[in-house]
Amino acid sequence: MKLINFYIVIITLSILTACEKPNVIQDDGNLVPKTVEHDPSLPSISVNGTQLHAEAFGQNSNPIVVVIHGGPGSDYSSLLRCKAFADQGYRVVFYDQRGSGLSKRHPKNSYSLQLMLDDLSAVIIHYRTSPNQKVFLLGHSWGAILATAYINKYPTQIDGAMLAEPGGLIWQDVLDYADRSRPLKLTTELTNDILYQDQFVIGTDSEHAILDYKYTLLSIAEGNKDNPTGNEGKLPQWRAGAIVNKALFDIGEKEKPNWTTNLGQYKTKVLFVYSEKNKAYGLQHAQKVSSAYPNVQLFQVNAAGHDMLTFPTGWNNFYPVALTYLNALK
Amino acid sequence: MKTIKLLSLFTFLLVLCKETFSQTINFNNLKKEDKHIASLNVGLDYGLVYGVSYSYQLKSKIPFLLNIECSAPSGENVFDDFKTKVGGQIRFYQMENFNLSVKFHGIYRRNMNDFVTLQNFGTELSVAAGYYKSKWFTAGEAGFDKAIVTHFKHSNEYKQVYAAVKDGWYEPATGGNFNLGLMAGYSFKQSDLFLKGGIVTTQNFSKPSLPFYAQVGYTLKIGQHK
Repeated sequence: MKLINFYIVIITLSILTACEKPNVIQDDGNLVPKTVEHDPSLPSISVNGTQLHAEAFGQNSNPIVVVIHGGPGSDYSSLLRCKAFADQGYRVVFYDQRGSGLSKRHPKNSYSLQLMLDDLSAVIIHYRTSPNQKVFLLGHSWGAILATAYINKYPTQIDGAMLAEPGGLIWQDVLDYADRSRPLKLTTELTNDILYQDQFVIGTDSEHAILDYKYTLLSIAEGNKDNPTGNEGKLPQWRAGAIVNKALFDIGEKEKPNWTTNLGQYKTKVLFVYSEKNKAYGLQHAQKVSSAYPNVQLFQVNAAGHDMLTFPTGWNNFYPVALTYLNALK
Repeated sequence: MKTIKLLSLFTFLLVLCKETFSQTINFNNLKKEDKHIASLNVGLDYGLVYGVSYSYQLKSKIPFLLNIECSAPSGENVFDDFKTKVGGQIRFYQMENFNLSVKFHGIYRRNMNDFVTLQNFGTELSVAAGYYKSKWFTAGEAGFDKAIVTHFKHSNEYKQVYAAVKDGWYEPATGGNFNLGLMAGYSFKQSDLFLKGGIVTTQNFSKPSLPFYAQVGYTLKIGQHK
């Protein structure tokens, strides 16, 4: 009888699902939003052979603050509080990096660290109205690494930098921080929620919508009590870029980059911030990582976690210090 | 239409298999009188997973077991994620101590997190070949787990990320993973202790987040053992 009941349930499900037109999992727009490539209503710029989701606020001729998001693969939705600098005489530029957020997707083997730097150069060139217009970088997490890589490569091009918890500026520091910030505790709900998905949904490296969706789901970890990074809640996010994340980590593993080799030439003061509640970071790691810069203002953002620029408490503690820093270099 | 066909196939196969089994069993130690077989296990299977299973041995010339199995991953919310399998296992070839067996399961599984509830119907087919003595056994196994059709129901929290997300059934088949491994066991009285493990790879031959599996378990055969 039990078998018959189960059989009836299965047949009923078959009938129910027959009434509902199934969605196609690979299609953009079903599980994740479309990128700028397929949604012309999104603000975008076409530079360096790609199409980036990007926008800027403030007077065109004001000193530029380029906001660089983390990940790799996240987007700038979590950094929109930085628009406040536009009201203080700055041109604030946001962009989703290549393959990230709502920017265009590319094949995994097309990525390189130099390409990410070239994109940043192209963004600066796109928004810069004169050669004398000052350019500041504000990077968060991976974005702070990318900002440092840029300064390391082009130290004379940047007039100041605000760096929020880059995992490391040499590859081993990145790995060490990643291990501390993402501990694998097999008994926790969070870990098993993440691991369990792999038997439901998989995708190939060319199926961006599927992989981006799965990567977006990983943000359930943010704000979770088992996560040591100390965020107040879940991050705002449009769409995660799984392939660029994978590609850049693979490149890191292979090339083991050192982004500090030329930083000695960069004499401008750098504002380096870290958060009080991120147990995986802390003063010791902040001192170690920031020591690659010759001139550093180290600042702890109290009552905030890793995404200190996203949530109100962290932002309110960071903003006055950042504004003072920018105004001193303006 | 494809969904209907897939679920019809799933249903048809279930009918063929009636109920089923996924336990690791020493066929050399399995008697015809062992009608009821219960098993407990713990291991790594897309997470830290605890499982129970029950099998019923049919009257047949060769060992044919019907089985139902339930497992759930570790975590605070005990019943939000789980996997149930219904199927059968048959030893279809024997030459002295060498045995070949095949298992087929229909699968229903669920994964809930803050963003989405996934419900999936799938199938699993695996074969095992090994050397079985009355006191011990060792075998290799290879299998394929196909997530045929999956239903997505997103929470309001995810709809704050993407308001236009489409809930409902998704196709084509949303997943599929191979496993390849080894198992070994020790048998005493009406019991088997077993250990198994191996690698998991997706059907695209990429690595899942947990690219291996491992399981340790205990099986009790209830019958007229002498």
